[in-house]
Amino acid sequence: MTTRTTMTAFLHSWRVAWRITRLNFKARLEYRGEFLLGIATGAIWQVSIIVFASVLLTRFPGLGGWSSTDVLLIASMRMLAHGLYVLFLGRVQYMNILVQEGIVDPCLIRPMPVYRQIQLNFFPVNAIGDLVVAVGLFVAALQRSSLDWTAGRIAYVVAGVIGGMLVEAALFTALAAAAFHFPATSYWSQWLEELMGTFGSYPLSILPKAVSAAFTFVVPLAFIAYFPAGVLTGHGGDMGVPEALAVASPLIGLAAFVLSRLLWNWSLGKYTGVNG
Amino acid sequence: MTANTASTMTLLSRGRHIASITPRGELLAPPRMTATALRLLVQVCLVVYLWRGLYAHTDSSAGLDETQAVTYAVLAVLANRIRGLDRRAGRDTVIQHLHFGTIVYWYLRPMSPRRYYALRALGDQLYGFGWVLAGYALSLAVGIVVPPSSYEVAAVFAVSMLLGQLVLYYVMMLVDLLCFWTLRNESALLILVFAQNLLSGVYAPLWYFPDWFITLSAFLPFQATLGVPLSIYVGRIGVDDAFVQMAVQGVWIVLLALFTRWLWDRAGRRVVAQGG
Repeated sequence: MTTRTTMTAFLHSWRVAWRITRLNFKARLEYRGEFLLGIATGAIWQVSIIVFASVLLTRFPGLGGWSSTDVLLIASMRMLAHGLYVLFLGRVQYMNILVQEGIVDPCLIRPMPVYRQIQLNFFPVNAIGDLVVAVGLFVAALQRSSLDWTAGRIAYVVAGVIGGMLVEAALFTALAAAAFHFPATSYWSQWLEELMGTFGSYPLSILPKAVSAAFTFVVPLAFIAYFPAGVLTGHGGDMGVPEALAVASPLIGLAAFVLSRLLWNWSLGKYTGVNG
Repeated sequence: MTANTASTMTLLSRGRHIASITPRGELLAPPRMTATALRLLVQVCLVVYLWRGLYAHTDSSAGLDETQAVTYAVLAVLANRIRGLDRRAGRDTVIQHLHFGTIVYWYLRPMSPRRYYALRALGDQLYGFGWVLAGYALSLAVGIVVPPSSYEVAAVFAVSMLLGQLVLYYVMMLVDLLCFWTLRNESALLILVFAQNLLSGVYAPLWYFPDWFITLSAFLPFQATLGVPLSIYVGRIGVDDAFVQMAVQGVWIVLLALFTRWLWDRAGRRVVAQGG
């Protein structure tokens, strides 16, 4: 196959994905009340995290040696990463339901990668609310920040947010791989989301070293926003890991996502349906 | 044996069977029970570390010292477990029954849907209460939770907790009943979970929040579910003030009971078996 043919096929497949997304969006608009509530869901989830964070910052100044402005940067980067994850890759979180309802089975015979079909299953209206609040908080964090926003720092923020999105996607993709064989994974998925909401937005230095290490190497939520924000705000040396590892967060996010996709593909190969 | 006694015995037997669906289902799924134990253990450890870390540089905040804050946070995690069941995995949520059309069976059984719903909820809450008791005993034994300051406080807390569970039962029922009218309302369910967690004080005691937030919460039923009983337990609400709060809990129960009863009557007229 020539490069030109490959390119045409690539563009065609993404044109199809775009058309399906537009149709999904229209389908969600059919239930107007649910559509608006969906936006509100994302916004309220993010606002509840902001309220909790502001309570902690007001009542307990100097969280783990970080100023409130720096903590705000962690929280806003995590929220942006989460909003983008929900928008582009979040449907993988509903894998257990798709397996239970047998929706995965027809995906196996359609001429499109199964992972992409799962992502195109419906339009995530709540991502709109998530991103609106996240962008608002991010702008507020930038305004309060005294950092000099050079081109290098701007590029690193962008890479950090995308890396954070990929870490979150990697964790949920790994859980989705398990859902092919054990569909009752929603319990773990809810817990993971709760953990990220509660502990992903604050400096992990407030926790004991063993717990902080667990959030770095077992459930790597430190790579979502804590490390990238720490690098940007000059906390690189006191985050409990070599600074180079913290700097490499965006690359680690990419590597984690690739690994989770390989695990997902392997699990898909072993899928036999929930009824055996 | 008279006909009335026989009828009462049959009703009791049915009730026992329905209420035991949840415990029996869970006992048949050891991996889920292991996951529950693990999740509770980790979550309790995390909140203990978090609140001890926050209090590292201060003795008291919002009228709560470290011991009170940690006790509150641990009890909140445990109490949250009461309604943390994964009924979705068993396709046994009201929204799923409406979606699949199986809700019609609720109206064909020799028991009213309202009573069936109440008995299922009772089974859920009793089962969850078993976990809470085990977690509480363990937390007390290792010293991360302190016992109530007196028998009087313990008794008032027990009554308030029971009232709180009743308020929670009616709030959850209200959202389930909403499904009869909206058909698609996953977003409303999620918003309720966020609101419940935030406004009842699961994330953090309401005492830390700004005055406007506490005033807003006073007009909603959520703080009556958990915030009030736990504040009584840790001594943030004195026994004398507790009776006023318990009267408010009672008012919420009466209002919600009347409203949900009215809704049940109307919901039955709207049952639609989707798909024919």
